[in-house]
Amino acid sequence: MNSDFVRTEALTKVFYDESRGEVMAANAVDIACSAGEILGLLGANGAGKTTTLRMLSTVLRPTSGSAWVMGHEVRQAPERVRENLGFYSASTALYPKITPRETLRFFATVNRYPAEKVEARVDHLIRRFRLEAYADTRVERLSSGMKQKVSIARTVAHDPPVLIFDEPTVALDVLNAIELRQIIAELRAEGKAILFSTHIMSEAEKLCDRIAILHAGRILATGTLDELREATGLHYLEDIFVRFAGVRNAAEAEVQNVAPGSPG
Amino acid sequence: MRLTRPIRAVFGLEIRSLLRDRRTLFMSVILPILLLPVFLVAMSWMEDRQVQRDEARTFRVAIVGPEADFARSLLVEASPDSRFQWVTVGDAGEALDAEELDLYVEAMAPEDWVSVVEEREAEAEVIPAELGGVPVFRLHYHSSRTASREGASALQERLLELRELSRDSLLLDAEFPAARDEIAVLRTRDVASDREVQGATLGRYVTLVLLGLMVLGGSALSTDTLAGEKERGTLATLLTSAATRNELVAGKLLAIMAVAFSIALIQVLNLWLFLGLGIIEPPSNVALRVSPELAFLLLVLFLPVVALTAGILLLTSAHANSYKEAQLYLTPVLLGLLVPALAPMVPDLTLPSAMILVPIANIALAARDLMVGQVHLPSLLASWGVTAAAATWVTSRSVRALHSEKVVTGDTTREEFLGGPDLFRKRVLRWFLVFWAVKLLLDLNVQFDDIRLSALFSVGLLFLAFPLVVIRHFRLDPTEALALRMPRPGVWIGVLVGAPAGLLAAQGLFRLMQYVIPVPPEVLEGFGQTLLPENVPTWHLLLLLALLPGITEELTFRGVLLHGLRRRFGTLGLALVVGGIFGFFHFQIFRIPSTAMLGVVLTLVTLYSGSIFPAMVWHALNNGIGIFLATQGWGESLEGAWLGAAGLVGLILALGIIWVFRTPYPDVRPQTRLRPDSADPGRRLDDSSPSFDHEKRDAGFEGRR
Repeated sequence: MNSDFVRTEALTKVFYDESRGEVMAANAVDIACSAGEILGLLGANGAGKTTTLRMLSTVLRPTSGSAWVMGHEVRQAPERVRENLGFYSASTALYPKITPRETLRFFATVNRYPAEKVEARVDHLIRRFRLEAYADTRVERLSSGMKQKVSIARTVAHDPPVLIFDEPTVALDVLNAIELRQIIAELRAEGKAILFSTHIMSEAEKLCDRIAILHAGRILATGTLDELREATGLHYLEDIFVRFAGVRNAAEAEVQNVAPGSPG
Repeated sequence: MRLTRPIRAVFGLEIRSLLRDRRTLFMSVILPILLLPVFLVAMSWMEDRQVQRDEARTFRVAIVGPEADFARSLLVEASPDSRFQWVTVGDAGEALDAEELDLYVEAMAPEDWVSVVEEREAEAEVIPAELGGVPVFRLHYHSSRTASREGASALQERLLELRELSRDSLLLDAEFPAARDEIAVLRTRDVASDREVQGATLGRYVTLVLLGLMVLGGSALSTDTLAGEKERGTLATLLTSAATRNELVAGKLLAIMAVAFSIALIQVLNLWLFLGLGIIEPPSNVALRVSPELAFLLLVLFLPVVALTAGILLLTSAHANSYKEAQLYLTPVLLGLLVPALAPMVPDLTLPSAMILVPIANIALAARDLMVGQVHLPSLLASWGVTAAAATWVTSRSVRALHSEKVVTGDTTREEFLGGPDLFRKRVLRWFLVFWAVKLLLDLNVQFDDIRLSALFSVGLLFLAFPLVVIRHFRLDPTEALALRMPRPGVWIGVLVGAPAGLLAAQGLFRLMQYVIPVPPEVLEGFGQTLLPENVPTWHLLLLLALLPGITEELTFRGVLLHGLRRRFGTLGLALVVGGIFGFFHFQIFRIPSTAMLGVVLTLVTLYSGSIFPAMVWHALNNGIGIFLATQGWGESLEGAWLGAAGLVGLILALGIIWVFRTPYPDVRPQTRLRPDSADPGRRLDDSSPSFDHEKRDAGFEGRR
């Protein structure tokens, strides 16, 4: 068995949009992530990060290609895939009428965490994320920082080996974003395989072990920060990203320029 | 189904969330509990007040015209009535307009009436001008004013009564030997038991009321459960959990069922309590007694209605993108569900009848029958089964909706974007369902006295227009869509053997079905007379009822329908589905089994021959032979068990001949359930899975749909 906790092969998703026509949101994406590693998906808005992660979490169906989570293929064993991952994004929300304790109990149960261990796991998470003070207060009465902690605790309620964080800091203030990054780093230390998508260069620089640069649905480069620096001769990730994305855009422009009938 | 932990967790979450939502709870439970008796007490009070007011009301009436003295002698002097206050005015018309009068009587001589009629031709059409030389009383009133309208009604009643009395008096004066009561005395006695009277009254409304309460109660949860979750962002969280879509839907469905049922029950008990305490007066012919056995049976009977209601509410919520949108859909959903529940109020609509096939309407009729105590057990069981099947189907659509990216993310599918044949394969059943409903409405409302015009419209126009519209809309290749290919010559031998044999076999089946759904002889006779009137030449009938349907119905069913479904089912499945749909397009229930059998056979003929032409000839011959024998009075010669059996043998022989000379229909899904070339040979494939590579993957996604 492959040691990668997450692996994709030529993962592709085509959307059909009334105004743009056929859109290749993810184009033959190949990525892999192993235990205790954070793989950053770095790309601008619309690069295909969310689409790729949604295919991994089985919400979207790949048009072609394959993806495996803990050895389970996303189309053949979607429930097993979801049992093994926790999905967090800025757009996912909590149920307002129940308490954090009930939230954790609910998500541990629907993710088939062993029934006899659920209560112990909930207590552990409440202590681990320092939720004691408001564990029995309804979610609707919590501040956004508190909700964020509950959301992360919810993501790991069933102790999955793979975690997906899709632009998690996009709606957070600086302090909350720092705290979230600390928690993600701790989860890495526990041996989780973590996919972390962002368009913020500094975040990827600080947190990710390896970075996959995604642009217009394609993976343009994958490697550690040092490997990317070595490949481009540039120091800052922002410059590296622009180099790859810019080359790609230039290549596309060149193709367009040589197309029959086009000016120039 | 096993209640797994995720199902119980989802159920618990829904119920807990609702119970903690005080505003929703107040609006959907507490407020109706308070308002219902208030509403009923107010209605009862208004009714009482109306009665009292009517009893106390006097109407201001003037009597005018050349025969006013006669009218006055009749109305005022001979038999005074305290309800009428007789007044004298100058111009009665003006007084009526000025509301000084409620109405006035214009008493005319016959010749005056004739002149009125001549002046107002419109009235001459409905009121005879020759009135036998007696005075005419014409009541003038203002229908938009209550006092005027009711006064006119009361005075008219009084005048009719006085006329009767005057006539009796005249008869007796002229030495007629007896008064009316001395000829025969009329008395009535109602032999219905209390239970029957109560059942007939309550039974008409029970489904309607319960359904309304269930929809309103269930919607408190359903609008929030999927549409609200989409809006809040919790659906995405839920869909990335390890719970299967089936478990999510099951948990939510059970929660809606529980809430809908509980709220309906609370309201009924609430009403019962107020009736029991005497705060509200029950209708005079309704007792409050419902035995525990009857209550239990009604509960079991309504279970599929609860499930269907909850399923429809959940499906509506799944397709709405927001809480507000789900609320928008609520009114049409409520009305759509209430319409079939009106069935018990339709005169002469009973079970067993075709209504067995209409979910909710069948249970509404069965509930009435149960309450009256006249239960037809096979109909009741069939009704329960049909509505339960409808509930299961609706629930499966909700599961499917949660699998659909379009529903979850709102994205356009490839088929919708590209349109054309791929989209037709997805939409074919939807189009036929709409066509079925449209055709039913047109057949019921556009009727011709002449069977030839009916055939031209219903068979010729509709069945020709539909495939053409489909071909144009979905850009289908007509040759492929209609299977316009020549078969191998040997096929025609099978057709010539099979058409008469199939007719005999269908007659046999029809006779067998008589044991299941007996059709009264007068119904069959009436149908025969409508279809084959004596005044129409036989060749007209052969042309319009044999050749025409042979062409147009085949273009519709063995043409576009078969083409659209060809990748969904194997040969046998296609024959059954296409044949069944063909049967249901013959709206008389007693014709469905035999026409469905013909449809199955014609589909097999098309699938084996790869061409529509043998089915066209077979269909035309089938109808033609039937018409010819019936018009010659030889219809009964087809009866007899041995003829049916012989027909079956001949039918098998004919299909065998066609199979020997077969040219397979292209692109039909293989009969096997598992696809050997699949990436995962162990996975289960869905009936709707197309055979394109990328669609294979779609169908296998998440294992099943």
